[in-house]
Amino acid sequence: MGLIGTSLSNDASSLFYNPGGAPFVNEKWSFSGGISFVFARSTFQAKDVNYQATMKHELNLPFYFYAAYKPTKNLSVGLAVNTPYGNRLSWDDTWKGRYLIQNLSFKAMTFQPTISYKFKDIVGIGIGLVYAYGTVDLNKAIPLESASGDGTLHINGTTGHFGFNAGIMVHPVKGLSVGVDYRSKIEMKVKGATATFNVPQSLRAQFPENKVDVMLPLPANLDFGASYTFGKNNQWMVGINLCYVFWNTYDSLVFDFETKTSAVGRTANPAMYESRLIERIGVEYKINNMVAVRLGGYYDPSPVPTEYMNPQTPSVNETGITCGLSLYPTKGLCIDAAFLYLMGATKEGTYSPDNFAGTYRTGFNIPGIGLTYNF
Amino acid sequence: MKKILFIILSLTFLTACERKIDEFASNANGINFSKFVAVGNSMTAGFADAALYRSGQQNSIPNIMATQFQTVGGGEFRQPLIGTEDGVGVNVIPGGVYCTSKLALKIIPDVDCQGTPLGTSSLKPSFVLTNPDQNMLKQQLLAAPSVPGPYNNMGISGLTLLAAFMPGYAAYNPYYGRFASTASSSVIGEAAAQQPTFFMLWLGDNDALSSALNGTDIQITPADTFAKYYPMAVVALQQSGNNPKGVIATIPDITSLPFFTTISKQLPYNGVTLNAEQASGLNILYTMYGHSDIVWHEGQNPFVYVKSNGKWAQMQDGDLFLLTVPTDSIKCKGMGIADQSAQPFPKPYPIPGKFILDKTEQTNIQTAIAQYNFIIKGVATSQNLALADMNAYLKTLSSGLIFDGIKFSTTFVTGGLFSTDGVHLNPRGNAIAANYFIQAINSHYGCQIPQANITEYKGLVFP
Repeated sequence: MGLIGTSLSNDASSLFYNPGGAPFVNEKWSFSGGISFVFARSTFQAKDVNYQATMKHELNLPFYFYAAYKPTKNLSVGLAVNTPYGNRLSWDDTWKGRYLIQNLSFKAMTFQPTISYKFKDIVGIGIGLVYAYGTVDLNKAIPLESASGDGTLHINGTTGHFGFNAGIMVHPVKGLSVGVDYRSKIEMKVKGATATFNVPQSLRAQFPENKVDVMLPLPANLDFGASYTFGKNNQWMVGINLCYVFWNTYDSLVFDFETKTSAVGRTANPAMYESRLIERIGVEYKINNMVAVRLGGYYDPSPVPTEYMNPQTPSVNETGITCGLSLYPTKGLCIDAAFLYLMGATKEGTYSPDNFAGTYRTGFNIPGIGLTYNF
Repeated sequence: MKKILFIILSLTFLTACERKIDEFASNANGINFSKFVAVGNSMTAGFADAALYRSGQQNSIPNIMATQFQTVGGGEFRQPLIGTEDGVGVNVIPGGVYCTSKLALKIIPDVDCQGTPLGTSSLKPSFVLTNPDQNMLKQQLLAAPSVPGPYNNMGISGLTLLAAFMPGYAAYNPYYGRFASTASSSVIGEAAAQQPTFFMLWLGDNDALSSALNGTDIQITPADTFAKYYPMAVVALQQSGNNPKGVIATIPDITSLPFFTTISKQLPYNGVTLNAEQASGLNILYTMYGHSDIVWHEGQNPFVYVKSNGKWAQMQDGDLFLLTVPTDSIKCKGMGIADQSAQPFPKPYPIPGKFILDKTEQTNIQTAIAQYNFIIKGVATSQNLALADMNAYLKTLSSGLIFDGIKFSTTFVTGGLFSTDGVHLNPRGNAIAANYFIQAINSHYGCQIPQANITEYKGLVFP
């Protein structure tokens, strides 16, 4: 429903969206899991050149699994497993921006044990320890050619780091729910990733087999949500969500090679991301006890400044429309189907440190399914 | 209801989520690019790596421009392609010519002066064919191009402004002789006879440079002669029949090319270290040979070279070694000092003048280029032609430019612009130059010609 979970507490997904909401789940046990199918394409038109390229986002399958248990009426413990960030994109190996990026896969999976408590059915608080496990795999070309073509660099590594997720939920009056949640930044420092160079033989001494440290910070989020349930049998619900993403922590992508030579050292590619507010709104209508439908919309402005627009993360301002359907075949069981459509605005920009200029357009279709069981 | 919704969902996400962007909007703005003819020297011909070879020509600046012109009504761009990929380079030697293949970077084992390997190796430009069959190379050079003329690319290595008007020039320059339409043609005449609708003229480097490169007394074309003939060349093209538009270009300060700057960064002009005994020995030797004006002393001494007037002199700070200077002879054979192995006695061994560009020569060349460029700019204004200020652009490039993540500079090999001869550009460098010409045309004529994708063109190839 437009991803407005910060003020909702229907099931174990609160563990992720706002741990303060978990004790408000009515049943003792709640399990929720699901998967999405991210279909995405980016198109690039070079500035001043008669050249277009399309980027394939490899089919990305973000999934989640949440389990919550209430040992007492007011206490909830749970575990949330999620893949909040994932990026698998590949441009053609010979494309115009190959010296910036050919393909990049960055995946993070989080494991979050959580404890929450509520006071008098009015205020709930919760906190979870977040362990994030990440893998990075990157290929780019190097402008040093042999008879068989460009040089290449392949980086591959894994990392794991900790953060936290804390939230508070308040039900001040009947029907109204307000939540605030903070997910901390996680410094995903990949230490000692394998760096493999393939360069012409005559230059190999300058590009030895190497290890590299790469820093890929997951930004902090501060979410505020409010929802209101009303109408006959509480058939209607509307909600809003404001999510402030502290993207400004991502000021540069640093590669620090262990074995330094005249050609290989520490490079910092400026990213200069700017913090952004994502605005979301959604509405739900329960047709009957068996079926509910949802509709939502959101605006997710790109954190990338125009002069740092780059093909590694060709982020454009996204306007998204979401729709969803929930079926309740028996008590406690819910089957969800959701569809997220991101229209993809066009954005013209230059990655100025590399003088790489053009217009990008990225669009997503993200269908998803989920299953929840409360008992 | 459920079924219908699922069908809608399926259809929506299975239809391509590709989002379209408008393509580059080419626009000729009324300029006719259907017949493009380029006149120039080796830079225009696609000469590179010290030779004319097929893929070098295919990556010539005007051919890259012509490829982009195709989006604004450009027609065929025919080039006098040579058959060989190994290339032919013609060098004038006493009593004739000596042909070489092209250069390529090779890994050469380092040896000391006795020829003993040192266990290290260096990356050096080397001819791809050693001791090539002279007759074979001459035949390859003079063989008629497989596609008949006339040729849109009238770029000819070694061409000067004055030579471009010379009927029968084919007999003097095999790079023209190999494709001239008749024995009595002139380059400008043949270009004008094609009645271009758009032309490019980039001439003048050789008028300033030939004397210094050959170490001879070939005169630098005087500025007043240049001022007379340059407008004549332009007008001959403009009045060729189709009322063509065109682009002309200034001449880069060639003394900033890697050919002139590279060795001097490694080898100081005063790289001769002597003790008192060696110095007095050399003084006696030089006096014996009638050069008592050259005085050696204990400590650092400049190398001796032959000036363009034939006199010997010691080098001065700022004199430049050319890329072709035999550094092995300087290191091991006493070049620039004395040949100790000469029999029966050692004898003085000055560096031949063709390997040194001294400060006087540099000043003469730079003065001539400044004068030519003033004339060229004046003609661009008076004849209302687009001007590509390649002189200004090379200055910008020498401080370093970056395109598509590739760093470029005028540094030899690592700078990414020049071919292995240190004068001519590599294909990617040609694409950058072609883009600068296109920018000049777009800006002057208000058209929108797309620029070349420089990453489609190869840079320097390493072994």
